[in-house]
Amino acid sequence: MHRIDIKYEAERFGLVFVWIALILLFGVMRPETFLTWSNFSTIFGSEAVLVIVTLGLIIPLTAGDFDLSIAQNLTLASMVTAILNARLGVPIIATIPLVLLIGMGIGVVNGAITLYFRVHSLIVTLGIGTFLHGITLWISNSQTISGVSSSLIKYVIVTRILGIPIEFYYAIILCAVIWYVFSYTAYGQHLLFTGRGKEVARLTGVNVGAVRMGAFIASGFMGAVAGILYTGTTGSANPSSGTFLLLPAFAAAFLGATCIKPGRFNPWGSVIAVYFLVTGINGLSVLGFRTFVQDLFYGGALVVAVMVSQLISGRKERSI
Amino acid sequence: MIATQAGAAERKPSPVERLSICGLTKVFGGNRALDAVDFEVASGEIHGLLGQNGSGKSTLIKILSGFYAPDAGSISIDGHPIPLPMPMGRHEAMGLAFVHQNLGLYPDGTVLENLIAGDHGRLNSWRIDWRQEAARARALFATFKLDLKPNDLVETLSPVLRAQLAIVRAADRIQHGNDTGSAILVLDEPTPFLPMDDVQALFSMMRQLAATGVSIIFVSHDIDEIIDVTDRATVLRDGKTIGSFDTASMSRPQIVEMIVGHALKTDRTAGDTVKTDVNANVVTSSVCGRLIQNLSFEVKPGEILGLTGLIGSGYDEVPYLLNGSTTARTGSLVVRGNTFDLGTVTPARSMKAGVVLIPADRQITGIVPELTLLENVSLPVLGNHERPGYINHKKLRDNADRLLKHFKVKAEGPDQQAGDLSGGNQQKIVLAKWLQLNPVLVLLDEPTQGIDVGARAEIYDFLNTLCAGGASVICATSEFEQLEAIAHRVLVFDRGQVTVELKDGDVTKSNIAKACYLKATTTNAQN
Repeated sequence: MHRIDIKYEAERFGLVFVWIALILLFGVMRPETFLTWSNFSTIFGSEAVLVIVTLGLIIPLTAGDFDLSIAQNLTLASMVTAILNARLGVPIIATIPLVLLIGMGIGVVNGAITLYFRVHSLIVTLGIGTFLHGITLWISNSQTISGVSSSLIKYVIVTRILGIPIEFYYAIILCAVIWYVFSYTAYGQHLLFTGRGKEVARLTGVNVGAVRMGAFIASGFMGAVAGILYTGTTGSANPSSGTFLLLPAFAAAFLGATCIKPGRFNPWGSVIAVYFLVTGINGLSVLGFRTFVQDLFYGGALVVAVMVSQLISGRKERSI
Repeated sequence: MIATQAGAAERKPSPVERLSICGLTKVFGGNRALDAVDFEVASGEIHGLLGQNGSGKSTLIKILSGFYAPDAGSISIDGHPIPLPMPMGRHEAMGLAFVHQNLGLYPDGTVLENLIAGDHGRLNSWRIDWRQEAARARALFATFKLDLKPNDLVETLSPVLRAQLAIVRAADRIQHGNDTGSAILVLDEPTPFLPMDDVQALFSMMRQLAATGVSIIFVSHDIDEIIDVTDRATVLRDGKTIGSFDTASMSRPQIVEMIVGHALKTDRTAGDTVKTDVNANVVTSSVCGRLIQNLSFEVKPGEILGLTGLIGSGYDEVPYLLNGSTTARTGSLVVRGNTFDLGTVTPARSMKAGVVLIPADRQITGIVPELTLLENVSLPVLGNHERPGYINHKKLRDNADRLLKHFKVKAEGPDQQAGDLSGGNQQKIVLAKWLQLNPVLVLLDEPTQGIDVGARAEIYDFLNTLCAGGASVICATSEFEQLEAIAHRVLVFDRGQVTVELKDGDVTKSNIAKACYLKATTTNAQN
């Protein structure tokens, strides 16, 4: 039924090829340090948090909204997890659902302000994000808090499958769930139409407000999941953990929209984009470049990604 | 020539006309939008420009403003030939200014900011003396006795004050912004949304301007307004000048005759599908919207009801009020026994009751151009499967294949982007998307805008098939010819109310046009 269109397939897997080329390049230059399984399993495991933040972002992005608060949502969730568990002695099994609820509550606040007052989500979530960071600094007294339950650490990073920490598989499962929702449910199509043609969606009986609210709640949930995993990964919560994740997540979301399903924010593309970006940074640091390459690489990738996606769509004027 | 009393004293009989257009021709792909049009306006004259949609009025104005280049003909102002095409953005320097229906005001700005926006010739770009500008504005408003203050926000002004601000701005530019001394103001339908009293306020301003020697070209559909305010008028029809005349010398029916002409008969495709002996499918009562007042009517199964009127009459609001995409102030709709309050109904609920809307603005409200045909046609039927929420891709694809075939869409396949198709094929996609739901009532707004003849005929066929199946159709359109072709009955609107109802054999292009232009008082003879 489908014709195989070489050009289209090349576009779909272009980023995968570039990723493989990058691995080979660094591999040839530093075979003994870069091209080792332990290096890769570290990359896969430690960047699972970034994957989940990126997956969280693409849900509102598909509906045409931005959630800039997701990174500070992560920081707060991470901090609340540590405080409840390590300071107040709440068992981890009770802490996790509580933190997830807080994350979803933040989504409700973002959605309610955006929808009721009709303010652009970019502004609302920028403000809410900074506000959340203030709360984090306040409740933590700007201190790193450690001493979380070892069972959390165990089920996040210590347990390994094929040498890769288990949190990587959590990210992949979440990716699969989002992929299923995007591709096989009416809600996924409603998200897409809400983002691309609000009036068409509304006139076709889609409850556009509810769809957008759902997307904000989902991204709030994902931010909280990422925060819990962050605490589990490091065994502690520090009050600036999420601050440096927002830009990489945006870069990965937009870069991910250039592959697998070009022109659409899509979960598998996002995962590939995250690992492409961290491979680049890991390789450059193995070559001896210092920390400034992170900013060069992430910032550059975001701009290149949006340029490429505009070329794909024929350089049409967009609102954002 | 007849002059207004106010202007008679100041006006010198000029040896040459203020504006003289000769043999102006514009061809769009074989279609002559303007065919050797002649048109003259004297100085200090208010000159009406009349004609139906498609008569060439807007093409003429777009040539004057430099938007189109004419294929032949000449334009001169005060005897000086104007280089053609008119250089874009230079018309003010030549003494021409335009006020369009969209007044070109910035609602968030103040009156003063709007007044001086773009007045590059006079203003010092590096230092705007706001105090001096405000004083100047006050003096200008005093001259025309306008209740405008420089610091008022435009969004707080009444519609008529906004129109007056736009006119005073245009007049100010051409009186002070050019050294030729020629001033021609083109008012392109500034009145259709204004109440009668406000129209008079606008007219007195126009007379005052004309008295100072400004020539005004006044475009309007409203014959009463033309008779009231203009000295002379010109009628265009099918791109030709039908005639220019002193307004006072003509009666309303004579002017209507010139506008409408003797239209050729259109082939009627409306089938014999109306079931008159059964209860109505659709009953609306006391619907009130933005312009629509207290509208009630019935539609029988198998009937195509046309709604039409001139711009500002409100007929085009009706389809959106009836499915809840615009909330009505009051009103109810009964569809096969289900009653809806139009003040609260949503598109989702009316959709479930079998009411579908095919909107005019295809690219924004009909389809999403960057998504595929499959996605576009599937949106309303995503939920129709065994497992709630789960999408059966195979079924949707088969359905889309079937729809593309049935609605004769020329496309590569269901995965093509909707934006790649021609207008006619896009409209067929919108029809397919909605008609697959087997609706009871189909609401159409300008269903064939920008669509070629072939696709048009196919769309008429789909509508007839639908009627044969017992559905009802309501079609709002400004194309009288289309109503002659497809409608069983037509309601003609004026200022939010139905003034004339035409049935069966009386549904002809010229009857509709006459009903629109002559309005309630003289149209009783038609029934």
